[in-house]
Amino acid sequence: MNAEELAGTIQEALEEGRTAAAPEALEAIRVKYLGRKGLLPRVMKGLKDADPSERAQLGKLANQLKQELGKLLGARKQELSGASGADAANFDYTLPGQWRQLGTRHPISRVIEDTAEIFARLGFTVAEGPDVETGYRNFEALNTPPHHPSLDAQDTFWLESGELLRTQTSPVQIRVMETQPPPVRVITPGRCYRRDTTDATHSANFHQIEGLYVDKCVSLADLKGTMAYFARELMGPSVGVRFRPHFFPFTEPSVECDFSCHVCGGKGCSVCKHSGWIEIAGAGMVDPRVFKRVGYDPAGVTGYAFGMGVERIAMVKYGIKDIRMLYDNDVRFLKQFK
Amino acid sequence: MKLPVSWLADYVDFDLSPEEVAEKLTFSGTEVESIDVIGGDYEGIVVGEILRIDPHPSADRLQLCLVSDGSRELPVVCGAMNFEIGDKAPLAVVGVELPGGMKIKKARIRGEESEGMLCAEDELGLSDDHTGIMLLPREIKTGTPFSEVIGPPETVLNLEVTWNRSDCLSIIGMARELAALLRTDLKIPTPEISESEARTSDGISVTIDAEDLCPRYAARLLDNVQLAPSPMWMQRRLSLCGVRPINNIVDVTNYVMLECGHPLHAFDYALVGDKKIIVRRAVDGESIATLDGQDRPITGETLLIADARHPVAIAGVMGGAGSEIGENTASVLLESAAFDPASIRRTSSQLGLSTESSHRFERGVDPEGVEWASNRAASLMAQLGGGDVAAGIVDVYPGCPGERKVVVRFDSTRRLLGADISDDCMVDILNSLCLTVTSRDESSCTVLVPTFRRDIEIEADLIEEIVRVYGVAQINESVPVSHVVPGASDMPFQMAKACRADLVGLGLSETMNYSFVSAQLLDSCCKYDADSRVVLPNPVSAEHAVMRNSLVPQMVETLGRNLSRQIQETAFFEMGKVFLKKESGEIHEEDRLCMGFMGPLGRTCLDKRRPIDKEEPFLWLKGAIEALILAKGQGQVESVAVEHPYYEAGSSVSVSIGGCKAGFMGLLREDIRRKWRMQTPVAIGELALDTVVLARNAVPELTQISMYPSISRDVAMVVPESATHEDITRIMRDSAPAELTAIELFDIFRTEGLGQGKKSLAYSLEFRSLDRNLTDEDANKYHETIKAALKKELGAEIRDS
Ligand SMILES: [Zn+2]
Repeated sequence: MNAEELAGTIQEALEEGRTAAAPEALEAIRVKYLGRKGLLPRVMKGLKDADPSERAQLGKLANQLKQELGKLLGARKQELSGASGADAANFDYTLPGQWRQLGTRHPISRVIEDTAEIFARLGFTVAEGPDVETGYRNFEALNTPPHHPSLDAQDTFWLESGELLRTQTSPVQIRVMETQPPPVRVITPGRCYRRDTTDATHSANFHQIEGLYVDKCVSLADLKGTMAYFARELMGPSVGVRFRPHFFPFTEPSVECDFSCHVCGGKGCSVCKHSGWIEIAGAGMVDPRVFKRVGYDPAGVTGYAFGMGVERIAMVKYGIKDIRMLYDNDVRFLKQFK
Repeated sequence: MKLPVSWLADYVDFDLSPEEVAEKLTFSGTEVESIDVIGGDYEGIVVGEILRIDPHPSADRLQLCLVSDGSRELPVVCGAMNFEIGDKAPLAVVGVELPGGMKIKKARIRGEESEGMLCAEDELGLSDDHTGIMLLPREIKTGTPFSEVIGPPETVLNLEVTWNRSDCLSIIGMARELAALLRTDLKIPTPEISESEARTSDGISVTIDAEDLCPRYAARLLDNVQLAPSPMWMQRRLSLCGVRPINNIVDVTNYVMLECGHPLHAFDYALVGDKKIIVRRAVDGESIATLDGQDRPITGETLLIADARHPVAIAGVMGGAGSEIGENTASVLLESAAFDPASIRRTSSQLGLSTESSHRFERGVDPEGVEWASNRAASLMAQLGGGDVAAGIVDVYPGCPGERKVVVRFDSTRRLLGADISDDCMVDILNSLCLTVTSRDESSCTVLVPTFRRDIEIEADLIEEIVRVYGVAQINESVPVSHVVPGASDMPFQMAKACRADLVGLGLSETMNYSFVSAQLLDSCCKYDADSRVVLPNPVSAEHAVMRNSLVPQMVETLGRNLSRQIQETAFFEMGKVFLKKESGEIHEEDRLCMGFMGPLGRTCLDKRRPIDKEEPFLWLKGAIEALILAKGQGQVESVAVEHPYYEAGSSVSVSIGGCKAGFMGLLREDIRRKWRMQTPVAIGELALDTVVLARNAVPELTQISMYPSISRDVAMVVPESATHEDITRIMRDSAPAELTAIELFDIFRTEGLGQGKKSLAYSLEFRSLDRNLTDEDANKYHETIKAALKKELGAEIRDS
């Protein structure tokens, strides 16, 4: 063995010593390199036959092997023979972890927060208002015609005070416009109430998110672009959006906005009732009569507004079959919204 | 609304499949919700003639019939009763499969042979009608294939007509839409009537007493009417639209209503008293028996059609039974009128009675359409019923709508839509919708709004018309651009969101409950707050009759419901509004945060079986509240013992955060939790969300950290039970110098050896100076001072370690 080979072997020996994981392995290394029949005695014995030019070098290396490896093995032996080493066999790393688990956000909160976050990127801030509203802000200010079905006492919770439980979050838009000159960019999440009999898809108490953007030159093309952006951010990059003309008293022109079904990719399935599309939002350009009521100049500003049901989005996005699950608060259901 | 495609084709030419028509209508604003194909090939089903009817010997509800299929006579057992000998009906013989999949087999029904079946409409897939077998006109030859009688399968589009488009509640209205979309002509038939010598005005007078509610009322008379079933083609169209055929006169009124959207009513002229029609408001106490057999009391604002003595119809909603067209009807008074939409809507909702007629009137019908509808119906009645149409119409028309013109500016339209639509294109679209452009210049055009489009009032209405025909899909999506609105802030939302995130981080799961609860649930927690409750005057159910005045009762319910599903351990929070009625009657809304702890939450999994001590859940919840506040705030959380109806006596506190009252927490009253079968103590807290989020909004104030080592000393002491941890730590802090940097409780025990009413507590104290190395002598000195203070103020017995 020449000096170069020996130097390499020493490095190997030290490496083995460093990585050995049990006292038995350390002993085997000691026997292999330093033992009576190990490498060291063999090197020492070979010294006298070695090339005189290498002899001194080999002697030095042999000494290094003895010193360094001996010291390393000694230190490692102490390490491994400590308390943990002795108990290694009793260590069960498969026992349950011991740290408090996180709780979960309610799916309705998730949808509201996620939506607010998406619109925050576009410069929208959240505006909130009371659940108990005036009939004026809930209906008239929103240009609801006097004999529109939504005015039916049967559909609205009127209170003794003459106020009502808002049937939509649009009154918040009115509040914002009443107190702030244009431009306006708000998103208004909140709780609404309608006298619906509760079933798998209806709840007398539900949540809406509406949005309002008013500025000098807002167009239907902007509304389309914004809804498409929102759809992709909320449901995934492949989701498509389509618009159908519709009627809402608050906006004109009005559209309904469908998202392509994220479950079947638009091919048709039970979630989208085999149409490939899911109705998500109502939207449109704010009716000039609404601007007039809040004191905005209809000749100077335009705007779009949109509204959607939070429960519906949660049901579509998470595949919840029955709206009542959202208010049942079974921890086994809630815990799934991580 | 149901739209049979073949009927639509009467008024507009198109070369489109039903699916293509549906697509066009959906994307121009009238959504087609579904497409139904009604009918079938009806192979093997023929017109059968009933030759004999005998009662079934062993079943009252069955009859034995002998039916001819044109070549053979077959025994048929039938469960219907609506026929007699000589009647004809669809007969399915053995081997035939009905549209529903049912196969006719030779059978013995309660012992009697049956070789076929007489079919009801629902069994043939024609309608939902199962009131009896489908009777066919007797003149059809026995044995004729049923498919020849009923015609080929029909496609029906189910439309959702938007509320503003009353003009679309008819076949012609939808034809007008399709014609505009295809830029083709609309073909409206011109009614042809040959009038008799008798003059309508001699036979009837019309007075409108309530002109505000009835802008127009037109009456026509027909004599010598032969009442009979309508021809098959008309019956078929009616049933495709969901209207049950009755007789040729009533069917014509319905047919014309479906055709043009204008509801009509036919009275038996002989039963209209004194040849007078008076349109008036009801008098209190009046009532009328309506066609559906009900006696209906009428209130003051209801618009009635009356004769000289009695009401004969509830205007626009339903006719009266007293003047109904019946077997003996020989002459007909035909009403064609327009009524005030709001009035009809009110009446319909008051009576809980919605009809095809009220559905249209409450959305508005065109007074200008009255005459066409009357003429069209008279012409069809004469054609089908052989009646003589009296000359002229008695037409009272006090409310003629004025001419309305609306201007639309080309540039504003392009700007609002964000689309480059040419002026010509806009004008073309408007004209195609019968919104006739009467004049135009380079910047705008003026539209004469037809009377059937009263929904069009301002420019935006016309822009909507333009874009829905142009196609919303044709407008490019613009990439949204972010803009900061100066001064806009949503801190409350953001702070609540951060609070929610921290609660989740602390291991609590969020729940959400309705804003309304049952009075019973509130009572079960506290009976004495009824004055502050907001009670709904018109709740949907007793379960949801009162607005919640606290989040606690529902938290209890939620924990209890989970426990009933064997969930033993859970930590919940809810953020939501409560509603409190002030003495003034005003309603105050407040955002609250409620937390509820059930089970051995604070224990490790190896330590959960040990019984839960009363203090434990309380301290876990207290710890969670402190952690929540201290996560982002600096306000001290302070508790003061108070009694509260939700909580066990002596186990509840009022919580202040940074000196502000925030709410209460404690151990849920035992009798409440026992109702929910909760065996172990449950901790619940409710805080004002504002106080919590504001306390969490502190800007961090940094304190210098010491670079010198600390020295620690322990103090163990025996004190009376009345001495609290707070007392002890306060005394320590008050007596010690600023070098006392931490106090940590590490042991509590009670033994008999200590004596009754005593406990032992042990604390570890940490001393550290900001500017020097403390010596053991320093620490000993502080230690002694603290011990002396404890002895003096609490009578503590210091245990030497
Ligand atoms: Zn799908």
